[in-house]
Amino acid sequence: MKWRNRWIFLGLVPFVLMVVAFQFAPILSMITGSVRAEGGPGFTLSYYARVFQSAYYLKAIKNSLLISIASSFIGIIVGLICAYSITRFSPRIRNRLLVLSNMTSNFSGVPLAFSYIILLGNNGVFTLLFKQWGWNVFGDFNLYSWTGLILVYVYFQVPLALLLLYPSFYGIRDQWKEAASLLGASKWQFWTTIGIPVLTPAVFGTLGILFANAMGAYATAYALVGGNYNLLAVQIGSLVSGDVVNEPQLGNVLAVILALSTLLAVYLNHKMTQRSQAFNSNPSSRQVRTRRTFRRPWATTVKEEL
Amino acid sequence: MSAYLELQGIRKQFGNTNVLNHVDLQIHEGELVTLLGPSGCGKSTLLRCIAGLTDIDGGKIILEQKDIVNLAPRNREIGMVFQSYALFPNLTVSENIQYGMKMRGASKGERRNRSEELLALIDLEDKRDAYPRHLSGGQQQRVALARSLAVQPKVLLLDEPLSALDAKIRKNLRTEIRDIQRKFNMTTIFVTHDQEEALIISDRVCLMNKGSIVQQGTPEELYTTPRTEFVARFMGSYNVLTRPEALRLFQRVDSTAERFAIRPESFILLDEEGRKEALYAGKRIVDGNVHSVSILGNIIRYAIDTAGVRLTIDVLNDGRSHRIGDQTAVSLALDDSQLLHLEKEGA
Amino acid sequence: METSVKKTGLTHKLLMFVLMIYLLIPLLATFLYAFAKEWQTTVLPERWTVGWFSQMFQDIRFLDALWTSLYLCSISVALSLVIMLPAVFIITVYLPKWESFMKGIVVLPYAVPGVVAAVGLIRAYSSGPIEIAGTAYILIGAYFIVILPYMYQGIRNSLLTVSAVELLGSAELLGASRMKAFVSVILPNIWPGVMTSTLLSFSVLFGEFVLTNMLVGGHIQTIQVYLYQRVGESGHLASAIAISYFIFILVLSMILMKLGKRMNRGIEG
Repeated sequence: MKWRNRWIFLGLVPFVLMVVAFQFAPILSMITGSVRAEGGPGFTLSYYARVFQSAYYLKAIKNSLLISIASSFIGIIVGLICAYSITRFSPRIRNRLLVLSNMTSNFSGVPLAFSYIILLGNNGVFTLLFKQWGWNVFGDFNLYSWTGLILVYVYFQVPLALLLLYPSFYGIRDQWKEAASLLGASKWQFWTTIGIPVLTPAVFGTLGILFANAMGAYATAYALVGGNYNLLAVQIGSLVSGDVVNEPQLGNVLAVILALSTLLAVYLNHKMTQRSQAFNSNPSSRQVRTRRTFRRPWATTVKEEL
Repeated sequence: MSAYLELQGIRKQFGNTNVLNHVDLQIHEGELVTLLGPSGCGKSTLLRCIAGLTDIDGGKIILEQKDIVNLAPRNREIGMVFQSYALFPNLTVSENIQYGMKMRGASKGERRNRSEELLALIDLEDKRDAYPRHLSGGQQQRVALARSLAVQPKVLLLDEPLSALDAKIRKNLRTEIRDIQRKFNMTTIFVTHDQEEALIISDRVCLMNKGSIVQQGTPEELYTTPRTEFVARFMGSYNVLTRPEALRLFQRVDSTAERFAIRPESFILLDEEGRKEALYAGKRIVDGNVHSVSILGNIIRYAIDTAGVRLTIDVLNDGRSHRIGDQTAVSLALDDSQLLHLEKEGA
Repeated sequence: METSVKKTGLTHKLLMFVLMIYLLIPLLATFLYAFAKEWQTTVLPERWTVGWFSQMFQDIRFLDALWTSLYLCSISVALSLVIMLPAVFIITVYLPKWESFMKGIVVLPYAVPGVVAAVGLIRAYSSGPIEIAGTAYILIGAYFIVILPYMYQGIRNSLLTVSAVELLGSAELLGASRMKAFVSVILPNIWPGVMTSTLLSFSVLFGEFVLTNMLVGGHIQTIQVYLYQRVGESGHLASAIAISYFIFILVLSMILMKLGKRMNRGIEG
């Protein structure tokens, strides 16, 4: 850009200010808060030491990791099966199904926790109903426990997994299947040699998103179990907003740990998205250069027009 | 005749790569000049620099004796047609055509008259209220052409306007563009990577490579007398020979050139009878073997192995030559006046 | 694709049926609960009522919370629109080199969960030169970051689908000033796409709980915070609120879909 157009960059100033103030400053503040000694300057790792020596906080980290991993894996398996299934329907029904699952993915957080309480809580409709019918299979079920949390987490993971995975199934073109079958591959062979390798990056990428989603989930857990279940996100919330004991430094440390795990997961997603884009690059999106009558030797090595 | 548009030492870098290397070019009024070259040679960048859509790092752009480098695109009075049409999708065909006049404050009546005139010219009068998405690619490009002509620019730039179109439409529109250009005596720069298109449409062709113009001239000159190997290879199916190869074929060459070129149609394929006659006439004859034959409509193209060189040879398809098949022994008459002595690249 | 799909197998039908039941039951239950007078130990409620809804609309705190939500979300989305529109335009059109950097910034809100962001925000703004913790300002700032990815992607995609760079180039060559070109050519064409991301952002903010509760929970009640507080008091009333909220979001997403379709039609034709 030339000097006469410099003024146009003034348009970026508010954007930069907002991002610095509300994106970078808090992250920075959180990090410094986790290593700053109380009541003065100075660097200390004592809060990290306290967290990693406390069985209670380690348990919170472990619980969060377990619940995130478990719910992501269940979510991805159900998502994969359903995403494949959905491609087998006619476009009209397929769209309806997608709209429905998209709709339910809006149903999360407090309202979701609430409706599970109505259904399966201590006085939930199903709980009472099953009791009356004498179904003892669900007798031990407790919504406010590990199994209950998993159930609710899976509920919001499935539609997300489905919506994220479905396009990749669609990306597996029928022409590939046709080409493979003409080359002598069975249906099974097609999936093991082409289909699954092509899907793999998308699966791992989606897994990253699901994991980050579960790690950071606060509203659902908070509304469901309040402080009763030891989860990282819930601990951070109570440490900072002072439901229990107000110890903001520990909250900072736990927040840094949580952020690291989600950052890692999102990074995985980023890497995997790049891989799967390499598979699904669409040739028609580029200008298709028509073939010359006489193909020239350097035609294969040309770069895109600068 | 002095130049109407003159480029002096245009330089442009993207990062560390020199996209344009001191490009000089003079264009006369009413002339259609083609910038031809492979992808990445800088031809489109040069066009965008002339339009002012890309800033140059050095050099002058002189239009009617005035340097326009520091003018914004909208004050340069230059029209441009893009490969992807770039029609405004929220405006109808006639609104698109009138857009430039509206920006220049032309009255409504004036705008309507001019747009009707142009619609008639491009033969799309019945589409005046259609939106671009309802038109075919060829129609969209005609509208784009009309839109840039509506403001009567001093120079018209066409950036690969035909590359996105089907072969047949491309040919028709090519002729149409040339007719309109002649009719308005419009100074035009046409960018393409298609040498056939360039030869047919232009008054003058500038072949570009790696940010420089490597050779310019009339289509005739460029086709018949390429100066370097790059030009020879780009302009047609020239046989490019190394010095040892040329010596094997012609026994002696009168220059120190390292590369030679000879056109595929400048050989004569001889049958038994013809060989004798040619021998009497003292012509140089080599024997070879047909490697492959392909029919390109009115031309038959042979690949013939002779003296350790594979030559491409074109013969008019007059219905008599079919009997020569693969792996047949043949003789060629050579005419060393047809041998072009090439300069080194970048010399 | 479509033509080669044979008759959908029973397995797939069954599978989808189970999935839909699983996904819809919580919704359905909440819906029934909101209209039930009593619902215990029967498959369906025995007596119905719309009393919970009328009670909801008579509740002054609900109306307050609704108003607060609408108000805060609208301000945040409007602010984001005003800031993001020029910023994304400038970056996409004039500074494409910065795009990979922008992608990093835009992915951060995904990678930094609400709880974490809240921790940082509280620490950064509860003391020091800018003391805005607990006020609407900090919430609006936080909301701006929450919807940053949606706004950026939405605006950028719209700019790319209409090939803004070339449109701008042709408008300028035809004599339009930069401002004029933006208003007459770019804006009308990207508007449906921008509207879509605006509405999407709005619905995201409307459902936001973490940041709201942690940053201003004690002072400002949005619909989500209010819902959270009512859960403990009356299940039926809370159901009515949840269902109204959900229907509102549903209407919003339906408008979104319509807009999306129109956008596509506009481009492809």
